[in-house]
Amino acid sequence: MRILVIEDETKVGCFIKRALEEESYAVDLCEDGAKGLQMALNTNYDLLIVDLMLPSLPGLEILKGVRQARIQTPILILTAQSQVDQRVKGLDAGADDYLTKPFAIDELLARIRALLRRGSTDSPGVLQIDDLSLNPATREVTRGGLRIDLTLKEYALLEYLMRHTGRVLTRPMISEHVWNQDFDTFTNVIDVYVNYLRNKIDRGRSKKLIHTIRGSGYMLKAD
Amino acid sequence: MPLRLRLTLWYGTALALILFIFSSILYVITARSLRDAVDQSLEETAAAAVRSLEERGFLPLIDEDELMSQFPELARIDKFFQIFSPSGTITIRSPNVKQHEMPLSRQALEVAYSGRTLFESAKYPKEPPLRLISVPIIYRGNLLYIVQVGTTMDSVEQTLNRLLLVLLVSMPIALAVSLAGGWFMAGRALRPVDAITLAAQRIAGGDLTQRLTVPASADEIGRLTNTFNDMIDRLETSFRQIRQFSSDASHELRTPLTVMKGETELALRRPRETDDYIIVLESNLEEIDRMTRIVDELLFLSRADMGEVKMEHLPVPLDALVEDVHRQASLLGQERNIQVVLNATTSAVVSGDELRLRELFLNLVDNAVKYSRPGGTVDIALTIEQNHARVSITDRGIGIAQEDQPRIFDRFYRTDDARAHTKKGTGLGLSICAWIVESHRGRIEVQSKIGEGSTFTVMLPLASTPA
Repeated sequence: MRILVIEDETKVGCFIKRALEEESYAVDLCEDGAKGLQMALNTNYDLLIVDLMLPSLPGLEILKGVRQARIQTPILILTAQSQVDQRVKGLDAGADDYLTKPFAIDELLARIRALLRRGSTDSPGVLQIDDLSLNPATREVTRGGLRIDLTLKEYALLEYLMRHTGRVLTRPMISEHVWNQDFDTFTNVIDVYVNYLRNKIDRGRSKKLIHTIRGSGYMLKAD
Repeated sequence: MPLRLRLTLWYGTALALILFIFSSILYVITARSLRDAVDQSLEETAAAAVRSLEERGFLPLIDEDELMSQFPELARIDKFFQIFSPSGTITIRSPNVKQHEMPLSRQALEVAYSGRTLFESAKYPKEPPLRLISVPIIYRGNLLYIVQVGTTMDSVEQTLNRLLLVLLVSMPIALAVSLAGGWFMAGRALRPVDAITLAAQRIAGGDLTQRLTVPASADEIGRLTNTFNDMIDRLETSFRQIRQFSSDASHELRTPLTVMKGETELALRRPRETDDYIIVLESNLEEIDRMTRIVDELLFLSRADMGEVKMEHLPVPLDALVEDVHRQASLLGQERNIQVVLNATTSAVVSGDELRLRELFLNLVDNAVKYSRPGGTVDIALTIEQNHARVSITDRGIGIAQEDQPRIFDRFYRTDDARAHTKKGTGLGLSICAWIVESHRGRIEVQSKIGEGSTFTVMLPLASTPA
């Protein structure tokens, strides 16, 4: 899951980025409103976190710009103002949820999970395919009732695959949603991580879940 | 008592008084003129009778028929006449009073002897009220006859009674009609006041967007409405400013709180290296310093607003102060490789608070250094201009956009560029500078061009007596 954070207070942006990265999200941070809008328009993010008070372009304008471009990405707004009208304006301009500063990190993460869940259709809190299950809230992964320990990146990759089961996911799609903008797309890191995942999930099992689609990418499916 | 009722009652009382006085005067004048007319006609008749008697050599007239033909006016029903002898006995009387007893009054006799004419009102039993004139006829000093002519006052009394009746009936009606009219007019005149009251109640309820509709006429209500609207305008403006200020203040305070809360929570989510904790604690310390500065400056400004900040009024040699500030600023500039130059200086003494003035100039020079590009120059100059000391501080830094310039002295106002350039500002420094300058009866101005730099100019009045 790749998230864009548009926040002008460097320190706030930094700790949000670190917190999200520790939760295995890929995070891009932008301190400037106009630049942030360009990034939101050019990259297919899974979630936007937008501060409403920004230099060069107010948060509300970013919301309008994104929604005018018919991008349905969930947007969480951050606001320092406790006034109701600011939040109402934000929600009306296309935001899906809001948080008032100062906020608890746990709440931020819970709201992000809720928004990501809302993005894909009728997905419950726990993702499930065959006997493989992934709980985004606890980040617990089990197969056949056995716990599987994953690194942050492995987990992020698996979550992305599980949210799009039965669909062919190309390497650019995976890199766009699992890695942030610093990622070098010309390496074979994706294949390496897919292999790690295979070792932990499919090795020694009769039913393989991760499939390589030759010439395109990968797919997660039950049969 | 409501104003409408009071107005109507005042109006009614005044009108009743006027009506009463008017009616009384009307009645009295009418009564007098009617009676005068009666008296005049009696006098004329009596004079005719006397003339006729004189023509006859004062012989008593015996023959009534002859008398009537001689004096046709005596035959008129409304008048009668009697001629008395000096003893008071009736010598002759007109036929229309034959059946009535109307003796000469004692007063009439006495007056007749003194040779004067007398008018009297008489009321005899079983008779209508009468008006009588008694004229003595004196020949060679002797009273020969007393001629008395009389008439009834019936018609006069009736006229007066009718007048009285008309007045008594019409006065209350007129009063009632004008009271009703007055009530209606007062209501009409006071209706805009009710509208103002309603609007004022809505505004008092917190809706400052309400305005009164201004009536087309420029009368008292129109002026009141305009004044009221102006007052609400100012109220709304100052409320908006207060709201803006507290919103800005809470934003400025929430940002460090957000950083501290977020970083601390993040650090506590799992065990970390000692270095990580140190970084968080150092960062939190920075934020605490920032909040302390904001709170201190806010406190200073609010105390300044309340007039609680003590200001010295002592002679301050500005040249020494500016040189001192220049030395400190040079040290500040060295860190960022910025040269601070004291261009011109002259001896100038102002009256004021040295500490505050030092804060003012340090603040301005510090800003100039902060917004300069590394390797840049900041110029300080002290000159004298029209009884004012003029201190200008010029940088060649990022500059301030034209539209932002009027607002940079507002509390918490920071341009986007300033925000992006330095995260440490509180947005209150220039507000404090402006306050210090104002409390020294001076002026502060800014000239700036975006990308080219800014010049802040402080004008302070020179102390009248040099120290």
